[in-house]
Amino acid sequence: MIALALLLAQSAAVPAAVARGEQIFAQNCSVGYCHGVAGAAGRGPRLRGRSFSKDYLYNMTRDGIPSSAMPAWKDRLKDEDIRAVVEYVASLASATDPAPPVNPMPPGAGPAALPSFKGPAAAARGRELFFDPAHENCGVCHAVGGRGIAVGPDLTGKQQIALSDIESTRSRHVLMAKLKNEEEFCALPGERDENQVRLYDLTLAPPVLRSFARSEVTSLVPTPAWRHIDFVRDYSRTELEAIVVYLRWAATGK
Amino acid sequence: MNSSTIRPTVHSAKRFFVNLILVCCLSAADNTTQADWPHYGGQRSAWRYSALDQINRSNVDRLQAVWAFQTGKVDGGFNATPLVVDGVMYVASSWNRIFAINGETGKEIWHYFYQNPREIGIIYSPWTRGVAVGAGRVFTGTLDNYVVALDQKTGRELWRVNVEDMRQCGCNITGAPLIVKDKVVVGVTGGDSAHRGYLTAFDVATGRRAWRFWTIPGPGEKGHETWAGDSWKYGGGATWMTGSYDPELNLLYWGVGNAAADFYGEARKGTNLYTDSIIALDPDTGRLKWYYQEIPHDVWDFDAAFECVLLDAAVNGVARKLLLNVNKGGYTFVMDRTNGEFISAWPVAENINWIQGVDAKGNLVGRNEPPVGKTSLMCPSIGGGRQWNHGSYSPRTGWFYTTGIEWCEEVTVSPEDPKEGMNFFGAVFRLKPPLHGPAGGHLDAYDPVTGKKFWSYPSKYPLLASQLSTAGDLVFTGDPEGNFFALDARTGQKLWSFPTGSGHRGSPITYSVNGRQYVATPSGWGSALAGLMPQLWPETESFPPGSTLFVFALPAEAR
Repeated sequence: MIALALLLAQSAAVPAAVARGEQIFAQNCSVGYCHGVAGAAGRGPRLRGRSFSKDYLYNMTRDGIPSSAMPAWKDRLKDEDIRAVVEYVASLASATDPAPPVNPMPPGAGPAALPSFKGPAAAARGRELFFDPAHENCGVCHAVGGRGIAVGPDLTGKQQIALSDIESTRSRHVLMAKLKNEEEFCALPGERDENQVRLYDLTLAPPVLRSFARSEVTSLVPTPAWRHIDFVRDYSRTELEAIVVYLRWAATGK
Repeated sequence: MNSSTIRPTVHSAKRFFVNLILVCCLSAADNTTQADWPHYGGQRSAWRYSALDQINRSNVDRLQAVWAFQTGKVDGGFNATPLVVDGVMYVASSWNRIFAINGETGKEIWHYFYQNPREIGIIYSPWTRGVAVGAGRVFTGTLDNYVVALDQKTGRELWRVNVEDMRQCGCNITGAPLIVKDKVVVGVTGGDSAHRGYLTAFDVATGRRAWRFWTIPGPGEKGHETWAGDSWKYGGGATWMTGSYDPELNLLYWGVGNAAADFYGEARKGTNLYTDSIIALDPDTGRLKWYYQEIPHDVWDFDAAFECVLLDAAVNGVARKLLLNVNKGGYTFVMDRTNGEFISAWPVAENINWIQGVDAKGNLVGRNEPPVGKTSLMCPSIGGGRQWNHGSYSPRTGWFYTTGIEWCEEVTVSPEDPKEGMNFFGAVFRLKPPLHGPAGGHLDAYDPVTGKKFWSYPSKYPLLASQLSTAGDLVFTGDPEGNFFALDARTGQKLWSFPTGSGHRGSPITYSVNGRQYVATPSGWGSALAGLMPQLWPETESFPPGSTLFVFALPAEAR
């Protein structure tokens, strides 16, 4: 009897993981036009009726496939849920019907995704302001924790940041670019390129990466003309304080 | 178009005279293309119609392939519309590869391969629908959500600017930009993401962001009240296709996509402006002049994002300036493009059960919303009563040529909470055969105002390539099996066909260099719909991908 109960418990445990995986798959992998219902194919490849090793499925789901539409799910799903999806997809290998029936999901069988932001309310407000797409926000020039465009310094891990930094009037990084046609603008160097000079034009918001033939740029020197404070005038002091709370929280978790 | 560059292509004085009149009278806002194919939709009226007639009904059967061009990336198919300016073709393929090609010889002049980040994980996939050319520049939008300006002569990058962090918005750019005066206007995807849609214009010279129009009004703006709670922050409204422009009215028209979550609407009660709407904007300021919402509170993923065809026709005996838009739900909406007044609506598919019809005022009658927590049959499927591939309007016949698809889906709707930058869909679905007749597609000729059908060309599979119509009274398009073919514009009879070896998902064009007319088409199977089709047609899974541009012309003795 005990052996039978153990056997039953084991056989029930595997379908439970598969069933969990099925729900997560439905809301994250079937959706839109990706892998289709129950892996029946969409703009992503068919998974139904195909054999993959579980290690392969796990690694690919966790890390994504570079230069492809397959994202890394390690930032979006808990590890145990990635493993449940792997169990489910592996279970599809023996499926033979090309158009499987749809299992209605019970209301409330919500996705198991990580919450997009786990910080305290004050930091959450700061984060919202930092990335607020309706404004010329901080995120068009700075990245934090893998979000935002790192034209200026990436602020991830900057635990010493203070309001005075945001309101600063100096920058060690900004240069004055002068062009042969006499145009001048405050700039940050863009990615290296042997054939041309690439400069972010900071007079524009969002900044524009401009490319020039070497002969077009006559000088590129540090400048006191650029002031960070001019770019945060959309925010009130209280809002800037909330942003500082967010940046410190992002760096320290406190 | 400068009339001095028009070459008579038919040795008939009468025909030449007719052409001259056509050119002279349309020159105020020339909606036909001549030697060039300067904009995504031909001209910015989106007619996809050329006044060239060297290739016509009498000689199209002698059309020959004159060159082919490989883009080298078959991933996602070849979805673009090539442009031609002064005999040079500009075309984009998957992963943002841009090429300038000699239109006569097929020889590459330059290429530009944009470096997308390796860890991209793009949820709207790697295809692109094209470029815009103007002000000495070639513009494109990228998979990681940048707008790039290249030097038209050399392909050298001049500037690039981020539209929004793609990880933040779950959006990117697959549509071709549109140039209006000194601005380049760019839409984004994101309609199936937790995302608030917008349309953005940049200064062509500098890349300076000139304006942004939010397709979902924010707090304090008119229309904000059509969204319950915080749903406006994540409500979709993508601008993923390319709009149109009327220079006389100085109005920019753009179609707006579905509301998100696509199928689960309980959390966004209200009409959800301006999703599933045509918006008319002042291109100088981005201000809204008028809008027309085709589907209030969409719970079927039926975009109004497809082409806005600007045509003039008589309505009840009165000449009107019209805008025609085929909705993904399978109904064509016709409106007055000066003010957005509803004119008519007519179906392009036979299997439609999400509504019973559209009344004389444009109201949807008999809405059939998929119930939450249950599975229901909806027609057409999410793939649409028509897909994004564009129709064509011929001023010679006065008809609009467009495709229709017969298919349904079983959709199971579930509640879903928005997660920033992530899919926000609210359902799973599988394709099902239609209620009536076999699953498949057709290409039809319609009266654009009344929807009266003049002929129908049936197809085993949905036709997913755009149409091109010409003054040679021809309609060109391609099919999923790889055939590129020409129909008689007046009868729908097939006159010529050429096997290109891979299915068609892009948009054919025609142009002329040194007096010779060419027809060009992308060939390359791929895209979301190509991926879904095996659910109904299993054999299509093995249809070969590709990414080749084929160009055809008549041999000298047939011209």
